[in-house]
Amino acid sequence: MSNELIDFVIVSIALLGIGIYGLSVKRNAIRMLFAVEIIINAANLNLVAFARFIPHSGGQTLALFSIAIAAAEVAVGLSLIIVAYRMYQNIDIADFRSLKG
Amino acid sequence: MIEISSTPLIILAILGTVAIAIPLISISRKDRGSSLFYGAIALGALLASIGYVIYQFVTGNVAQSAIFSEDVLVDDAFGGLFAIAMLIVAIMTTVASFNYMRKHKHPAVYFSLILLSAIGMVFVAYSTDLVMLFVAWELMSIPTYILAGYMKKDPSSNEAALKYFLFGALSSAIIIYGISIAYGITGSTNIGEVIQGFSTLDPTMTPLALLAVGMFIAGFGFKMGLVPFHMWLPDTYEGAPPTIAALLAAGTKKVGFAAALRIIIMGAVALSLDWTFALGIIAVMTMTVGNIAAVMQKNLARMLAYSSIGHAGYILIGLSIAPFSAIGIQGSLFHILNHAVMKGAAFIAVAGIVTTLAVTNIDKLKGLARKMPITSLGLVISLLALAGVPPLSGFWSKLMLFGGAIDAGPIAAWAPWLAIAGVLNSALSLAYYGWIIRKMYFEGENEKRVKEPKSIIAVMIFSIIFIVAIGVYPDPIIQFTETAVPNLAALSP
Repeated sequence: MSNELIDFVIVSIALLGIGIYGLSVKRNAIRMLFAVEIIINAANLNLVAFARFIPHSGGQTLALFSIAIAAAEVAVGLSLIIVAYRMYQNIDIADFRSLKG
Repeated sequence: MIEISSTPLIILAILGTVAIAIPLISISRKDRGSSLFYGAIALGALLASIGYVIYQFVTGNVAQSAIFSEDVLVDDAFGGLFAIAMLIVAIMTTVASFNYMRKHKHPAVYFSLILLSAIGMVFVAYSTDLVMLFVAWELMSIPTYILAGYMKKDPSSNEAALKYFLFGALSSAIIIYGISIAYGITGSTNIGEVIQGFSTLDPTMTPLALLAVGMFIAGFGFKMGLVPFHMWLPDTYEGAPPTIAALLAAGTKKVGFAAALRIIIMGAVALSLDWTFALGIIAVMTMTVGNIAAVMQKNLARMLAYSSIGHAGYILIGLSIAPFSAIGIQGSLFHILNHAVMKGAAFIAVAGIVTTLAVTNIDKLKGLARKMPITSLGLVISLLALAGVPPLSGFWSKLMLFGGAIDAGPIAAWAPWLAIAGVLNSALSLAYYGWIIRKMYFEGENEKRVKEPKSIIAVMIFSIIFIVAIGVYPDPIIQFTETAVPNLAALSP
Protein backbone atom coordinates (compact mmCIF):
# COMPACT_ATOMS: atom_id res chain seq x y z
CA MET A 1 0.00 0.00 0.00
CA SER A 2 1.40 3.35 -0.93
CA ASN A 3 -1.16 5.61 0.75
CA GLU A 4 0.19 5.67 4.27
CA LEU A 5 -0.76 8.44 6.68
CA ILE A 6 2.72 9.94 6.55
CA ASP A 7 2.38 10.68 2.82
CA PHE A 8 -0.67 12.86 3.41
CA VAL A 9 1.04 14.65 6.28
CA ILE A 10 4.13 15.35 4.18
CA VAL A 11 2.00 16.84 1.38
CA SER A 12 0.12 18.89 3.95
CA ILE A 13 3.33 20.26 5.48
CA ALA A 14 4.63 21.08 2.00
CA LEU A 15 1.40 23.02 1.30
CA LEU A 16 1.78 24.86 4.63
CA GLY A 17 5.31 25.84 3.62
CA ILE A 18 4.15 27.07 0.19
CA GLY A 19 1.42 29.14 1.85
CA ILE A 20 3.78 30.77 4.33
CA TYR A 21 6.29 31.47 1.53
CA GLY A 22 3.56 33.07 -0.57
CA LEU A 23 2.39 35.28 2.28
CA SER A 24 5.83 36.51 3.17
CA VAL A 25 7.17 37.12 -0.34
CA LYS A 26 4.23 38.21 -2.53
CA ARG A 27 2.65 41.65 -2.24
CA ASN A 28 -0.26 41.18 -4.64
CA ALA A 29 -3.47 40.99 -2.61
CA ILE A 30 -4.97 38.13 -4.60
CA ARG A 31 -1.78 36.09 -4.40
CA MET A 32 -1.74 36.59 -0.63
CA LEU A 33 -5.39 35.52 -0.42
CA PHE A 34 -4.51 32.36 -2.34
CA ALA A 35 -1.58 31.68 -0.04
CA VAL A 36 -3.98 31.75 2.91
CA GLU A 37 -6.34 29.44 1.06
CA ILE A 38 -3.49 26.97 0.49
CA ILE A 39 -2.83 26.87 4.24
CA ILE A 40 -6.53 26.24 4.93
CA ASN A 41 -6.54 23.43 2.37
CA ALA A 42 -3.41 21.93 3.93
CA ALA A 43 -5.32 21.79 7.21
CA ASN A 44 -8.34 20.22 5.47
CA LEU A 45 -6.13 17.55 3.93
CA ASN A 46 -4.72 16.81 7.38
CA LEU A 47 -8.20 16.54 8.87
CA VAL A 48 -9.52 14.18 6.22
CA ALA A 49 -6.40 12.01 6.29
CA PHE A 50 -6.49 11.70 10.08
CA ALA A 51 -10.22 10.98 10.04
CA ARG A 52 -9.52 7.91 7.89
CA PHE A 53 -7.24 6.41 10.54
CA ILE A 54 -9.19 7.45 13.63
CA PRO A 55 -12.52 5.88 14.63
CA HIS A 56 -14.13 9.31 14.97
CA SER A 57 -15.60 11.15 12.01
CA GLY A 58 -15.34 14.62 13.55
CA GLY A 59 -12.45 15.50 11.30
CA GLN A 60 -14.46 15.11 8.11
CA THR A 61 -17.26 17.23 9.58
CA LEU A 62 -14.79 19.94 10.48
CA ALA A 63 -13.26 19.79 6.98
CA LEU A 64 -16.71 20.39 5.46
CA PHE A 65 -17.35 23.31 7.81
CA SER A 66 -13.94 24.73 7.03
CA ILE A 67 -14.51 24.54 3.25
CA ALA A 68 -17.80 26.42 3.59
CA ILE A 69 -16.27 29.05 5.86
CA ALA A 70 -13.27 29.49 3.55
CA ALA A 71 -15.69 30.16 0.69
CA ALA A 72 -17.43 32.87 2.71
CA GLU A 73 -14.09 34.35 3.65
CA VAL A 74 -12.91 34.47 0.03
CA ALA A 75 -16.14 36.19 -1.01
CA VAL A 76 -15.58 38.94 1.55
CA GLY A 77 -11.88 39.23 0.71
CA LEU A 78 -12.42 39.50 -3.04
CA SER A 79 -15.09 42.14 -2.56
CA LEU A 80 -12.66 44.21 -0.48
CA ILE A 81 -9.99 43.75 -3.17
CA ILE A 82 -12.45 44.90 -5.89
CA VAL A 83 -13.22 48.07 -3.92
CA ALA A 84 -9.49 48.68 -3.51
CA TYR A 85 -8.93 48.17 -7.24
CA ARG A 86 -11.60 50.75 -8.10
CA MET A 87 -9.90 53.25 -5.86
CA TYR A 88 -6.24 52.70 -6.73
CA GLN A 89 -6.38 50.85 -10.11
CA ASN A 90 -3.93 48.48 -8.44
CA ILE A 91 -3.99 45.66 -5.91
CA ASP A 92 -0.41 45.75 -4.71
CA ILE A 93 -0.64 46.15 -0.94
CA ALA A 94 2.81 47.73 -0.79
CA ASP A 95 1.19 50.75 -2.51
CA PHE A 96 -1.53 51.18 0.14
CA ARG A 97 0.16 53.65 2.40
CA SER A 98 -2.42 56.11 3.63
CA LEU A 99 -2.04 54.72 7.17
CA LYS A 100 1.28 54.62 8.93
CA GLY A 101 3.15 55.77 11.99
CA MET B 1 -27.56 17.16 25.50
CA ILE B 2 -27.63 20.86 26.15
CA GLU B 3 -31.01 22.18 27.19
CA ILE B 4 -33.07 24.26 24.82
CA SER B 5 -33.49 27.04 27.40
CA SER B 6 -29.75 27.41 28.02
CA THR B 7 -28.28 30.86 27.57
CA PRO B 8 -26.31 30.48 24.32
CA LEU B 9 -29.21 28.90 22.44
CA ILE B 10 -31.66 31.62 23.50
CA ILE B 11 -29.16 34.31 22.52
CA LEU B 12 -28.72 32.61 19.15
CA ALA B 13 -32.49 32.51 18.65
CA ILE B 14 -33.02 36.19 19.55
CA LEU B 15 -30.04 37.74 17.79
CA GLY B 16 -30.05 35.38 14.82
CA THR B 17 -33.71 36.00 14.01
CA VAL B 18 -33.37 39.75 14.28
CA ALA B 19 -30.10 39.84 12.33
CA ILE B 20 -31.74 38.02 9.43
CA ALA B 21 -35.01 39.95 9.71
CA ILE B 22 -33.48 43.45 9.56
CA PRO B 23 -32.17 43.24 5.96
CA LEU B 24 -35.43 41.55 4.88
CA ILE B 25 -37.47 44.42 6.34
CA SER B 26 -35.17 46.84 4.56
CA ILE B 27 -35.76 45.11 1.20
CA SER B 28 -39.52 44.92 1.59
CA ARG B 29 -39.99 48.59 2.46
CA LYS B 30 -40.29 51.24 -0.24
CA ASP B 31 -38.14 53.80 1.57
CA ARG B 32 -34.94 52.33 2.95
CA GLY B 33 -35.73 53.63 6.44
CA SER B 34 -33.56 55.54 8.87
CA SER B 35 -30.64 54.26 10.90
CA LEU B 36 -32.69 55.01 14.01
CA PHE B 37 -35.40 52.49 13.05
CA TYR B 38 -33.05 49.55 12.37
CA GLY B 39 -30.78 50.55 15.21
CA ALA B 40 -33.70 50.48 17.62
CA ILE B 41 -34.65 46.94 16.52
CA ALA B 42 -31.04 45.77 16.94
CA LEU B 43 -30.80 47.48 20.32
CA GLY B 44 -34.01 45.78 21.47
CA ALA B 45 -32.62 42.36 20.53
CA LEU B 46 -29.32 43.01 22.30
CA LEU B 47 -31.08 44.26 25.44
CA ALA B 48 -33.32 41.18 25.45
CA SER B 49 -30.29 38.88 25.22
CA ILE B 50 -28.30 40.60 27.96
CA GLY B 51 -31.46 40.56 30.06
CA TYR B 52 -31.73 36.81 29.55
CA VAL B 53 -28.07 36.25 30.53
CA ILE B 54 -28.59 38.22 33.75
CA TYR B 55 -31.93 36.47 34.41
CA GLN B 56 -30.20 33.09 34.13
CA PHE B 57 -27.59 34.22 36.66
CA VAL B 58 -30.17 35.60 39.08
CA THR B 59 -32.29 32.44 38.99
CA GLY B 60 -29.16 30.33 39.52
CA ASN B 61 -29.46 28.26 36.34
CA VAL B 62 -25.83 28.82 35.42
CA ALA B 63 -23.27 26.21 36.34
CA GLN B 64 -20.02 27.00 38.10
CA SER B 65 -17.25 27.61 35.63
CA ALA B 66 -16.72 24.26 33.91
CA ILE B 67 -14.12 24.10 31.21
CA PHE B 68 -15.12 20.70 29.87
CA SER B 69 -18.37 19.29 28.69
CA GLU B 70 -19.42 16.40 26.53
CA ASP B 71 -21.48 18.78 24.41
CA VAL B 72 -20.27 21.43 22.03
CA LEU B 73 -21.53 24.22 24.28
CA VAL B 74 -21.65 24.66 28.03
CA ASP B 75 -23.78 27.18 29.91
CA ASP B 76 -21.32 28.21 32.62
CA ALA B 77 -20.31 31.34 34.52
CA PHE B 78 -17.13 31.78 32.48
CA GLY B 79 -19.10 32.07 29.25
CA GLY B 80 -21.68 34.24 31.00
CA LEU B 81 -19.07 36.79 32.05
CA PHE B 82 -17.81 37.10 28.50
CA ALA B 83 -21.37 37.19 27.14
CA ILE B 84 -22.20 40.14 29.39
CA ALA B 85 -19.00 42.00 28.45
CA MET B 86 -19.47 41.40 24.70
CA LEU B 87 -23.15 42.31 24.71
CA ILE B 88 -22.39 45.55 26.58
CA VAL B 89 -19.85 46.39 23.87
CA ALA B 90 -22.35 45.55 21.11
CA ILE B 91 -24.99 47.73 22.79
CA MET B 92 -22.57 50.65 23.11
CA THR B 93 -21.57 50.30 19.45
CA THR B 94 -25.19 50.09 18.29
CA VAL B 95 -26.32 53.14 20.27
CA ALA B 96 -23.33 55.20 19.14
CA SER B 97 -24.06 54.24 15.52
CA PHE B 98 -27.49 55.91 15.57
CA ASN B 99 -25.82 59.21 14.86
CA TYR B 100 -22.73 57.95 13.12
CA MET B 101 -24.67 56.04 10.44
CA ARG B 102 -27.19 58.79 9.73
CA LYS B 103 -25.30 60.13 6.73
CA HIS B 104 -24.46 56.73 5.30
CA LYS B 105 -26.42 54.34 3.14
CA HIS B 106 -27.62 50.83 4.00
CA PRO B 107 -28.02 51.08 7.78
CA ALA B 108 -29.94 47.77 7.89
CA VAL B 109 -26.96 45.69 6.77
CA TYR B 110 -24.66 47.51 9.16
CA PHE B 111 -26.75 46.69 12.24
CA SER B 112 -27.38 43.16 11.03
CA LEU B 113 -23.62 42.53 10.75
CA ILE B 114 -23.05 43.87 14.27
CA LEU B 115 -25.63 41.39 15.60
CA LEU B 116 -24.08 38.46 13.69
CA SER B 117 -20.65 39.34 15.02
CA ALA B 118 -22.10 39.54 18.55
CA ILE B 119 -23.47 35.99 18.20
CA GLY B 120 -20.02 34.78 17.20
CA MET B 121 -18.35 36.53 20.14
CA VAL B 122 -20.79 35.04 22.65
CA PHE B 123 -20.46 31.56 21.19
CA VAL B 124 -16.66 31.48 21.27
CA ALA B 125 -16.85 32.03 25.02
CA TYR B 126 -19.42 29.26 25.51
CA SER B 127 -17.96 26.61 23.20
CA THR B 128 -16.26 23.48 24.52
CA ASP B 129 -15.60 21.83 21.19
CA LEU B 130 -12.97 22.80 18.64
CA VAL B 131 -15.44 22.59 15.73
CA MET B 132 -17.89 24.91 17.50
CA LEU B 133 -15.08 27.21 18.53
CA PHE B 134 -13.77 27.52 14.98
CA VAL B 135 -17.20 28.16 13.46
CA ALA B 136 -18.02 30.77 16.13
CA TRP B 137 -14.61 32.38 15.64
CA GLU B 138 -15.32 32.81 11.93
CA LEU B 139 -18.87 34.01 12.56
CA MET B 140 -17.33 36.70 14.74
CA SER B 141 -14.55 37.61 12.29
CA ILE B 142 -16.16 37.69 8.84
CA PRO B 143 -18.78 40.41 9.61
CA THR B 144 -16.08 42.61 11.16
CA TYR B 145 -14.00 42.48 7.94
CA ILE B 146 -16.94 44.03 6.11
CA LEU B 147 -17.70 46.50 8.90
CA ALA B 148 -14.08 47.75 9.00
CA GLY B 149 -14.35 48.59 5.30
CA TYR B 150 -17.87 49.97 5.54
CA MET B 151 -16.92 53.48 4.34
CA LYS B 152 -16.57 52.32 0.76
CA LYS B 153 -15.45 55.65 -0.67
CA ASP B 154 -12.82 56.23 2.01
CA PRO B 155 -9.37 54.86 1.04
CA SER B 156 -8.18 54.50 4.62
CA SER B 157 -11.25 52.48 5.62
CA ASN B 158 -10.67 50.11 2.72
CA GLU B 159 -6.97 49.81 3.45
CA ALA B 160 -7.74 49.09 7.10
CA ALA B 161 -10.23 46.39 6.12
CA LEU B 162 -7.85 44.76 3.65
CA LYS B 163 -5.00 44.56 6.15
CA TYR B 164 -7.35 43.29 8.82
CA PHE B 165 -8.76 40.72 6.41
CA LEU B 166 -5.39 39.32 5.32
CA PHE B 167 -4.14 38.93 8.88
CA GLY B 168 -7.49 37.67 10.12
CA ALA B 169 -7.66 35.04 7.37
CA LEU B 170 -4.09 33.99 8.16
CA SER B 171 -4.95 33.69 11.85
CA SER B 172 -7.94 31.46 11.17
CA ALA B 173 -5.87 29.35 8.75
CA ILE B 174 -3.25 28.84 11.48
CA ILE B 175 -5.95 28.00 14.02
CA ILE B 176 -7.49 25.33 11.80
CA TYR B 177 -4.05 23.85 11.14
CA GLY B 178 -3.48 23.70 14.88
CA ILE B 179 -6.88 22.06 15.35
CA SER B 180 -6.03 19.47 12.66
CA ILE B 181 -2.81 18.52 14.47
CA ALA B 182 -4.55 18.35 17.86
CA TYR B 183 -7.25 16.16 16.31
CA GLY B 184 -4.67 13.93 14.67
CA ILE B 185 -2.74 13.16 17.85
CA THR B 186 -5.68 12.86 20.25
CA GLY B 187 -8.47 11.58 18.01
CA SER B 188 -11.14 13.98 19.19
CA THR B 189 -12.30 17.56 18.74
CA ASN B 190 -13.82 17.93 22.21
CA ILE B 191 -11.58 20.24 24.24
CA GLY B 192 -11.82 18.06 27.34
CA GLU B 193 -10.82 14.93 25.47
CA VAL B 194 -8.02 16.75 23.63
CA ILE B 195 -6.51 17.83 26.94
CA GLN B 196 -6.97 14.35 28.37
CA GLY B 197 -5.16 13.04 25.31
CA PHE B 198 -2.36 15.59 25.71
CA SER B 199 -1.72 14.64 29.33
CA THR B 200 -1.41 10.92 28.52
CA LEU B 201 0.62 11.44 25.37
CA ASP B 202 3.38 9.21 24.08
CA PRO B 203 6.60 11.22 24.71
CA THR B 204 7.59 10.91 21.04
CA MET B 205 4.46 12.88 20.12
CA THR B 206 5.15 15.81 22.48
CA PRO B 207 6.79 18.03 19.81
CA LEU B 208 3.61 17.77 17.72
CA ALA B 209 1.46 18.75 20.71
CA LEU B 210 3.78 21.70 21.31
CA LEU B 211 3.40 22.68 17.65
CA ALA B 212 -0.39 22.59 18.00
CA VAL B 213 -0.34 24.77 21.14
CA GLY B 214 2.13 27.13 19.45
CA MET B 215 -0.19 27.47 16.48
CA PHE B 216 -3.12 28.25 18.80
CA ILE B 217 -1.04 30.95 20.50
CA ALA B 218 -0.08 32.46 17.14
CA GLY B 219 -3.61 32.24 15.73
CA PHE B 220 -5.40 33.71 18.73
CA GLY B 221 -2.48 36.08 19.33
CA PHE B 222 -3.20 37.83 16.02
CA LYS B 223 -6.65 38.81 17.26
CA MET B 224 -5.43 39.62 20.77
CA GLY B 225 -2.67 41.87 19.40
CA LEU B 226 0.21 40.18 21.23
CA VAL B 227 3.49 41.67 20.25
CA PRO B 228 5.03 39.67 17.45
CA PHE B 229 1.58 39.56 15.82
CA HIS B 230 0.38 43.14 16.32
CA MET B 231 1.46 44.97 13.17
CA TRP B 232 -1.99 45.13 11.54
CA LEU B 233 -3.74 46.45 14.61
CA PRO B 234 -2.93 50.21 14.70
CA ASP B 235 -3.65 50.62 10.97
CA THR B 236 -6.97 48.84 11.26
CA TYR B 237 -8.17 50.69 14.35
CA GLU B 238 -7.20 54.04 12.84
CA GLY B 239 -8.74 53.47 9.41
CA ALA B 240 -11.93 51.67 10.39
CA PRO B 241 -15.00 53.75 11.36
CA PRO B 242 -14.47 54.66 15.05
CA THR B 243 -17.63 52.89 16.18
CA ILE B 244 -16.32 49.70 14.59
CA ALA B 245 -12.91 50.30 16.11
CA ALA B 246 -14.72 50.23 19.46
CA LEU B 247 -16.27 46.88 18.56
CA LEU B 248 -12.89 45.49 17.46
CA ALA B 249 -10.83 46.80 20.38
CA ALA B 250 -13.34 46.07 23.09
CA GLY B 251 -15.06 43.00 21.61
CA THR B 252 -13.17 40.75 19.21
CA LYS B 253 -9.88 41.31 21.00
CA LYS B 254 -11.31 40.08 24.31
CA VAL B 255 -12.80 37.03 22.63
CA GLY B 256 -9.25 36.01 21.76
CA PHE B 257 -8.61 35.83 25.51
CA ALA B 258 -11.72 33.70 26.04
CA ALA B 259 -10.48 31.23 23.45
CA ALA B 260 -6.98 31.41 24.91
CA LEU B 261 -8.29 30.57 28.38
CA ARG B 262 -10.28 27.64 27.04
CA ILE B 263 -7.48 26.14 24.94
CA ILE B 264 -3.95 27.44 25.37
CA ILE B 265 -3.86 27.50 29.16
CA MET B 266 -5.54 24.12 29.47
CA GLY B 267 -3.38 22.51 26.82
CA ALA B 268 -0.24 23.92 28.33
CA VAL B 269 -1.21 22.82 31.85
CA ALA B 270 -1.82 19.33 30.58
CA LEU B 271 1.50 19.29 28.77
CA SER B 272 3.12 20.42 32.06
CA LEU B 273 5.93 22.37 30.51
CA ASP B 274 7.60 25.61 31.43
CA TRP B 275 5.27 27.66 29.26
CA THR B 276 4.35 30.29 31.83
CA PHE B 277 7.73 31.99 31.53
CA ALA B 278 7.30 32.34 27.76
CA LEU B 279 3.84 33.88 28.23
CA GLY B 280 5.30 36.24 30.85
CA ILE B 281 7.95 37.43 28.38
CA ILE B 282 5.27 38.00 25.72
CA ALA B 283 3.22 39.93 28.31
CA VAL B 284 6.10 42.27 29.18
CA MET B 285 7.00 42.79 25.50
CA THR B 286 3.39 43.48 24.58
CA MET B 287 2.77 46.09 27.23
CA THR B 288 6.13 47.83 26.72
CA VAL B 289 5.91 48.03 22.92
CA GLY B 290 2.29 49.18 23.05
CA ASN B 291 2.85 51.93 25.59
CA ILE B 292 6.13 53.24 24.13
CA ALA B 293 4.64 53.41 20.64
CA ALA B 294 1.53 55.13 22.01
CA VAL B 295 3.62 58.01 23.40
CA MET B 296 4.73 58.99 19.90
CA GLN B 297 1.31 59.08 18.22
CA LYS B 298 -0.31 62.22 16.88
CA ASN B 299 -3.65 60.63 16.01
CA LEU B 300 -6.07 59.92 18.84
CA ALA B 301 -7.48 56.69 17.37
CA ARG B 302 -4.00 55.36 16.66
CA MET B 303 -2.86 56.20 20.17
CA LEU B 304 -5.82 54.32 21.62
CA ALA B 305 -4.95 51.36 19.36
CA TYR B 306 -1.42 51.19 20.75
CA SER B 307 -2.73 51.59 24.28
CA SER B 308 -5.05 48.64 23.65
CA ILE B 309 -1.99 46.57 22.67
CA GLY B 310 -0.51 47.58 26.02
CA HIS B 311 -3.65 46.43 27.82
CA ALA B 312 -3.44 43.03 26.13
CA GLY B 313 -0.11 42.75 27.92
CA TYR B 314 -1.68 43.48 31.32
CA ILE B 315 -4.38 40.87 30.76
CA LEU B 316 -1.75 38.34 29.72
CA ILE B 317 -0.04 38.73 33.13
CA GLY B 318 -3.00 36.97 34.70
CA LEU B 319 -2.87 34.18 32.14
CA SER B 320 0.85 33.62 32.53
CA ILE B 321 0.66 33.22 36.32
CA ALA B 322 -2.55 31.17 36.16
CA PRO B 323 -1.12 27.96 37.70
CA PHE B 324 0.37 29.80 40.70
CA SER B 325 -2.29 32.30 41.67
CA ALA B 326 -6.06 32.32 41.37
CA ILE B 327 -6.15 36.08 41.98
CA GLY B 328 -4.20 36.73 38.81
CA ILE B 329 -6.66 34.99 36.53
CA GLN B 330 -9.57 36.57 38.39
CA GLY B 331 -7.90 39.93 37.78
CA SER B 332 -7.63 39.06 34.09
CA LEU B 333 -11.36 38.37 33.83
CA PHE B 334 -12.17 41.55 35.76
CA HIS B 335 -9.81 43.58 33.56
CA ILE B 336 -11.39 42.10 30.43
CA LEU B 337 -14.82 43.32 31.57
CA ASN B 338 -13.47 46.74 32.59
CA HIS B 339 -11.35 47.21 29.51
CA ALA B 340 -14.33 46.39 27.29
CA VAL B 341 -16.24 49.35 28.72
CA MET B 342 -13.29 51.74 29.09
CA LYS B 343 -11.83 51.23 25.62
CA GLY B 344 -15.28 51.10 24.03
CA ALA B 345 -16.16 54.44 25.65
CA ALA B 346 -12.86 56.00 24.52
CA PHE B 347 -13.35 54.94 20.89
CA ILE B 348 -16.97 56.07 20.92
CA ALA B 349 -15.87 59.47 22.24
CA VAL B 350 -13.55 59.58 19.21
CA ALA B 351 -16.55 58.73 17.02
CA GLY B 352 -18.44 61.66 18.55
CA ILE B 353 -15.52 64.03 17.93
CA VAL B 354 -15.18 62.80 14.33
CA THR B 355 -18.88 63.24 13.54
CA THR B 356 -19.15 66.78 14.92
CA LEU B 357 -15.69 68.29 14.37
CA ALA B 358 -14.05 65.89 11.86
CA VAL B 359 -10.68 65.92 13.62
CA THR B 360 -8.64 63.10 15.14
CA ASN B 361 -5.28 64.83 15.46
CA ILE B 362 -4.37 65.36 19.12
CA ASP B 363 -3.04 68.88 18.45
CA LYS B 364 -6.45 69.95 17.18
CA LEU B 365 -8.24 68.91 20.36
CA LYS B 366 -7.45 72.26 22.02
CA GLY B 367 -10.31 73.48 24.15
CA LEU B 368 -12.45 70.44 23.45
CA ALA B 369 -13.77 70.56 27.00
CA ARG B 370 -15.58 73.80 26.19
CA LYS B 371 -16.82 72.64 22.77
CA MET B 372 -18.10 69.20 23.82
CA PRO B 373 -18.20 69.02 27.64
CA ILE B 374 -19.94 65.66 28.06
CA THR B 375 -17.92 63.80 25.43
CA SER B 376 -14.74 65.25 26.93
CA LEU B 377 -15.74 64.17 30.41
CA GLY B 378 -16.45 60.63 29.16
CA LEU B 379 -13.10 60.52 27.35
CA VAL B 380 -11.23 61.78 30.42
CA ILE B 381 -12.91 59.31 32.78
CA SER B 382 -12.18 56.39 30.47
CA LEU B 383 -8.56 57.48 29.91
CA LEU B 384 -7.98 57.84 33.66
CA ALA B 385 -9.58 54.44 34.23
CA LEU B 386 -7.34 52.94 31.54
CA ALA B 387 -4.31 54.37 33.32
CA GLY B 388 -5.55 52.81 36.56
CA VAL B 389 -6.22 55.91 38.64
CA PRO B 390 -8.19 55.21 41.82
CA PRO B 391 -11.13 55.22 42.51
CA LEU B 392 -12.07 54.17 38.95
CA SER B 393 -12.77 50.62 37.82
CA GLY B 394 -9.41 50.12 36.06
CA PHE B 395 -7.58 50.56 39.36
CA TRP B 396 -9.12 47.48 41.01
CA SER B 397 -8.50 45.11 38.13
CA LYS B 398 -4.91 46.28 37.75
CA LEU B 399 -4.46 45.93 41.51
CA MET B 400 -5.67 42.33 41.33
CA LEU B 401 -3.41 41.55 38.35
CA PHE B 402 -0.27 43.03 39.90
CA GLY B 403 -1.17 41.70 43.35
CA GLY B 404 -1.57 38.23 41.84
CA ALA B 405 1.86 38.53 40.21
CA ILE B 406 3.49 39.42 43.54
CA ASP B 407 1.49 36.69 45.24
CA ALA B 408 2.99 34.13 42.84
CA GLY B 409 6.52 35.23 43.80
CA PRO B 410 7.32 32.37 46.19
CA ILE B 411 6.62 29.78 43.47
CA ALA B 412 7.91 31.58 40.38
CA ALA B 413 10.77 33.97 41.10
CA TRP B 414 10.20 36.00 37.93
CA ALA B 415 6.51 36.76 38.59
CA PRO B 416 7.01 39.94 40.72
CA TRP B 417 8.96 41.45 37.81
CA LEU B 418 5.75 41.31 35.78
CA ALA B 419 4.09 43.49 38.42
CA ILE B 420 7.01 45.95 38.33
CA ALA B 421 6.86 46.15 34.53
CA GLY B 422 3.09 46.65 34.73
CA VAL B 423 3.33 49.49 37.25
CA LEU B 424 6.05 51.24 35.22
CA ASN B 425 3.96 50.92 32.08
CA SER B 426 0.89 52.30 33.84
CA ALA B 427 2.92 55.33 34.90
CA LEU B 428 4.10 55.81 31.32
CA SER B 429 0.55 55.55 30.02
CA LEU B 430 -0.62 58.18 32.52
CA ALA B 431 1.91 60.54 30.91
CA TYR B 432 0.40 60.42 27.44
CA TYR B 433 -3.18 60.32 28.69
CA GLY B 434 -2.37 63.40 30.79
CA TRP B 435 -1.08 65.16 27.70
CA ILE B 436 -4.45 64.73 25.96
CA ILE B 437 -6.33 65.85 29.05
CA ARG B 438 -4.14 68.97 29.21
CA LYS B 439 -4.91 69.77 25.56
CA MET B 440 -8.63 69.38 26.12
CA TYR B 441 -9.00 71.26 29.39
CA PHE B 442 -6.18 73.78 29.75
CA GLU B 443 -5.48 75.00 26.22
CA GLY B 444 -7.40 77.09 23.73
CA GLU B 445 -9.67 80.02 24.44
CA ASN B 446 -13.09 81.28 23.55
CA GLU B 447 -14.40 78.07 21.99
CA LYS B 448 -18.16 78.02 21.55
CA ARG B 449 -20.09 75.00 22.68
CA VAL B 450 -21.22 72.82 19.74
CA LYS B 451 -24.16 70.47 19.64
CA GLU B 452 -23.15 66.97 20.74
CA PRO B 453 -24.83 63.92 19.19
CA LYS B 454 -27.48 62.61 21.58
CA SER B 455 -26.65 58.93 21.18
CA ILE B 456 -22.97 59.54 21.93
CA ILE B 457 -24.01 61.44 25.08
CA ALA B 458 -26.10 58.45 26.14
CA VAL B 459 -23.12 56.07 25.76
CA MET B 460 -20.83 58.50 27.60
CA ILE B 461 -23.20 58.83 30.54
CA PHE B 462 -23.63 55.05 30.74
CA SER B 463 -19.89 54.44 30.75
CA ILE B 464 -19.15 57.18 33.28
CA ILE B 465 -21.71 55.64 35.63
CA PHE B 466 -20.35 52.11 35.01
CA ILE B 467 -16.70 53.06 35.52
CA VAL B 468 -17.28 55.20 38.62
CA ALA B 469 -19.80 52.80 40.20
CA ILE B 470 -17.48 49.81 39.86
CA GLY B 471 -14.58 51.93 41.02
CA VAL B 472 -16.40 53.00 44.19
CA TYR B 473 -18.07 49.70 44.98
CA PRO B 474 -16.29 46.78 43.25
CA ASP B 475 -17.35 43.97 45.60
CA PRO B 476 -20.26 42.47 43.62
CA ILE B 477 -18.25 42.30 40.39
CA ILE B 478 -15.25 40.80 42.18
CA GLN B 479 -17.48 38.10 43.63
CA PHE B 480 -18.97 37.53 40.19
CA THR B 481 -15.54 37.07 38.59
CA GLU B 482 -14.61 34.66 41.36
CA THR B 483 -17.36 32.27 40.24
CA ALA B 484 -16.16 32.58 36.65
CA VAL B 485 -12.55 31.55 37.28
CA PRO B 486 -11.86 28.20 35.64
CA ASN B 487 -10.79 25.54 38.10
CA LEU B 488 -7.20 24.79 37.13
CA ALA B 489 -6.43 22.64 40.16
CA ALA B 490 -8.59 19.85 38.71
CA LEU B 491 -6.31 19.72 35.69
CA SER B 492 -2.83 19.49 37.14
CA PRO B 493 -1.51 16.00 36.62
